Amino acid sequence: MKNSIIILMAVLALAASSCGGSGSTTGRQKEVTLSAAGATFPQPFYNLAFKKYNEAGGPLISYGGIGSGGGIKSLRDQIVDFAATDAYLSDEELAEMPGEVVHIPTCIGAVVIAFNIPGVTELKLTPELLEGIFLGNIKMWNDAQILAVNPGLVIPDMEITVVYRSDGSGTTYIFSDYMTKVSSLWNEQLGTGKALNWPSGIGAKGNPGVAGTIKQSEGSIGYLGFEYAFAQQIPMARIMNSSGFFIEPTLDSFTAAAAAEIPSDTRVMITNSPNPSAYPITSFTWIIMYRELAYGRHSRDAAEAAVSTVKWLTGEEAQAIATSVHYAALPQNAALQAAELLKGITYEGQPVLK
Amino acid sequence: MSGDRITKGLLFLSSLTILLLSAGIVVSLLGGALQAFREFGLRFIISPAWNPTAGSEEYGAMSFIAGTVITSILALIICIPMAFSTSLFIAEYFRGTRTSGILRSLVDLLAGIPSIVYGFWGFYALRPLLVATGLTDQGFGVFTASLVLAIMIVPYATSLSAEIISMVPAELKEAAYSLGATRREVIFSVVIPSARSGIIASFILALGRALGETMAVTMLIGNANVIPKGLFAPGNTMASVIANQFGEASGLKMSALIAVGLLLFLITALVNYLGKLIIKRFA
Amino acid sequence: MELTDNIRRRSRTNNRFRYLVIAGSVITIIPIFLIVGNLAVKGYRQINLAFFTKPAPDTFQAMMAAVNGEIIPGGIANGLTGSLLMVLLASLLAIPLGLMTGIYIYENESKKYARFIRSLTEILQGVPSIILGIIAYLWIVKNITRGYSALAGSVSLTIMMLPLIIRSTEETMRMIPLSIREAAFALGTPYYKMIYKILIPVSFSGLATGVLLALSRILGETAPLMLTALGSPAISFDITRPVSAVPLLIWDFYNDPNMVNLVWSASLFLMVFVLSMNLLARSVASKHKYI
Repeated sequence: MKNSIIILMAVLALAASSCGGSGSTTGRQKEVTLSAAGATFPQPFYNLAFKKYNEAGGPLISYGGIGSGGGIKSLRDQIVDFAATDAYLSDEELAEMPGEVVHIPTCIGAVVIAFNIPGVTELKLTPELLEGIFLGNIKMWNDAQILAVNPGLVIPDMEITVVYRSDGSGTTYIFSDYMTKVSSLWNEQLGTGKALNWPSGIGAKGNPGVAGTIKQSEGSIGYLGFEYAFAQQIPMARIMNSSGFFIEPTLDSFTAAAAAEIPSDTRVMITNSPNPSAYPITSFTWIIMYRELAYGRHSRDAAEAAVSTVKWLTGEEAQAIATSVHYAALPQNAALQAAELLKGITYEGQPVLK
Repeated sequence: MSGDRITKGLLFLSSLTILLLSAGIVVSLLGGALQAFREFGLRFIISPAWNPTAGSEEYGAMSFIAGTVITSILALIICIPMAFSTSLFIAEYFRGTRTSGILRSLVDLLAGIPSIVYGFWGFYALRPLLVATGLTDQGFGVFTASLVLAIMIVPYATSLSAEIISMVPAELKEAAYSLGATRREVIFSVVIPSARSGIIASFILALGRALGETMAVTMLIGNANVIPKGLFAPGNTMASVIANQFGEASGLKMSALIAVGLLLFLITALVNYLGKLIIKRFA
Repeated sequence: MELTDNIRRRSRTNNRFRYLVIAGSVITIIPIFLIVGNLAVKGYRQINLAFFTKPAPDTFQAMMAAVNGEIIPGGIANGLTGSLLMVLLASLLAIPLGLMTGIYIYENESKKYARFIRSLTEILQGVPSIILGIIAYLWIVKNITRGYSALAGSVSLTIMMLPLIIRSTEETMRMIPLSIREAAFALGTPYYKMIYKILIPVSFSGLATGVLLALSRILGETAPLMLTALGSPAISFDITRPVSAVPLLIWDFYNDPNMVNLVWSASLFLMVFVLSMNLLARSVASKHKYI
């Protein structure tokens, strides 16, 4: 009994001593710790980038992939330094935030259509086919409509199983945003959103869940983030873009989708891009932060660390890291916009970046 | 005397934590669920609708209530024979032997496997097995989820039951043996009646675990927000839909999810109350 | 002869039941071998010293390793320390509270209030972990630490441990023959001494079971920790800041396209750890068994 009491006190003492202060006030950035939360899609890239930046003298950043919605909530509750989201905040959502929020695009992701059809490695799909398949109107793989777009393809007489995301997700949002633009029937029935009222199919959890389900189920087709299909080597379909070309999902085709006019606050969905070499189902992913960073328990050092991190994230070095792990880099115009926006971030009214 | 009073007072104080916790949880849940109930009224509880499309949002909890109740009860049914026989093995037949110690540790192993791992194993290993038996097309559904749930709750039912059974006083058993009873008869006429409340309590503990299980179920049940059409059809449970959708939800949808959480709380209370009645009937 | 027929029949039923019990037990442990086997086969390769001492790798390292056919570098050190911290804190809170509440319920069974508390405990047991995570988020993350923290994680784990400990304490105490208790009082033992010198030691094995069940349960929890501890790449012991945990790492590995192999290793480790913990505690408890 006595021994246990001694151990108890020792542990309590240890716990109490490690109650560090909130946000170091020394000048060294490396001792600053930041917390951020949000989308799972860019998480591998962010974790890698933050680690490299920390090695180069930047702050230590804890990033939690709890989903875009979780990130937005965390930012709204003012408990993180910045958040990450695959879908930009609507005007209503912006109004709900206690302060002005800035969107900084950091890279480009794409949603690919992966399939598992025995004997088939290449498939071309048009918006009409996507509408038919995912809304459940085209039920068999050897349907005439599919064969019309893929002449000469040997395709078995098999039922189509649609795989969708069971959890609310930015991937679903991006895919549905594209489909709403190209299909009025989709617009009526499902609309755009992070969770939809799917008429049929199987729900799988997370991108890996969709990837795993497609890999294991013959005759299945689903939408998921590019890097998952790539890492698991699942065949991806070539989608017809707005210019009529069937584009294969590659990093360059993703970046091409953003090489157009974007608004100064960067809040735009770049799906169905007018660029003829663009893959049509792409989107920015953003870091969102308050314009005024003196809130909660955030010190000036934390503010400086946060802004310099995000600035580095949109710079050449970080973008090269992004492409090395198969995330598409920002095109020139977006990177410039990001830099502009970062200049406007303040701490107690003074711009953070000198 | 006053020393006793202090002790009693301390014990009472600690019991207050449960009271405060439960009250706090109910209050927080009620606050969040208010919006949904105001919008849909009590119809929310029996409505199987779940349409998150902006502009025509309609939510109802029935699909998930059905899914939760069906999977949990099915899991318990599958679990009872396993847990019962195993706890008898450990605490009666092979009591004190090395075999019993090994078996007990193996069962403890089951409790140590994280629920996501059950989800992964179910997804990557069990599902193809079930598809191979031909019982089910894609392997997702109520049965798969219930099967994995059953395996997950076995340690809860077994561990406690075994403990309780082993604590039945030896004199009672020996008295029965001296009257010429066989082992089985001693078990059914002495051990079980004596340990009854503890055994049932362990099953209720297990059922409670099943009701609230999230990760494993969510990977195997198919996540179809409808009342399951059959044993092998996909469906969804209350805990699973909350876990899946909470991160991205806001406004009315979030309120609906919290309302589902509140209902789960109430259902657990109901199940416990029913269990209490059952125990009373046999006392 | 009626008597011998009767005996023979009863004897047969007896034997049949024995076989049933053995068969049932065997069926119960089949999944264990399936799951463990699966985990072991898929996960053993990644386990080496670095697994325990290095923090989680990044996706580039994992990708390169996959491309070159090597094992992924790094390990789960940040998750190990985070889990340790939070579980320790949660135990410090939950074990004394749980024991005392369980004893209270047992000692005051006749009172309505005690029975009410017991019912509340059972209900609490069934609350899904994600809801407890949401609650801890609202209470601690938003209001107390104003940020994701290990403290919030510990609180959600504490709430999860309490019902298990309380219920098993109470049920175990109930099996103690009243005579032992009465004998202590007859000798003039003060109440508190009776509790910690008689009640607890005698029921130690049952109490240990309850605590073990509770610990096993929380070591593998993910959902509540996502909303409270968040996760962190660093090895940290600051309870007011985000911290990682082994199940959180497992979830991160799962969500990263290149790190799937680590899922199995981390799960294998977690399982082996819980097993060892159980074995150790049981051997200690068996030395203190009085009944």
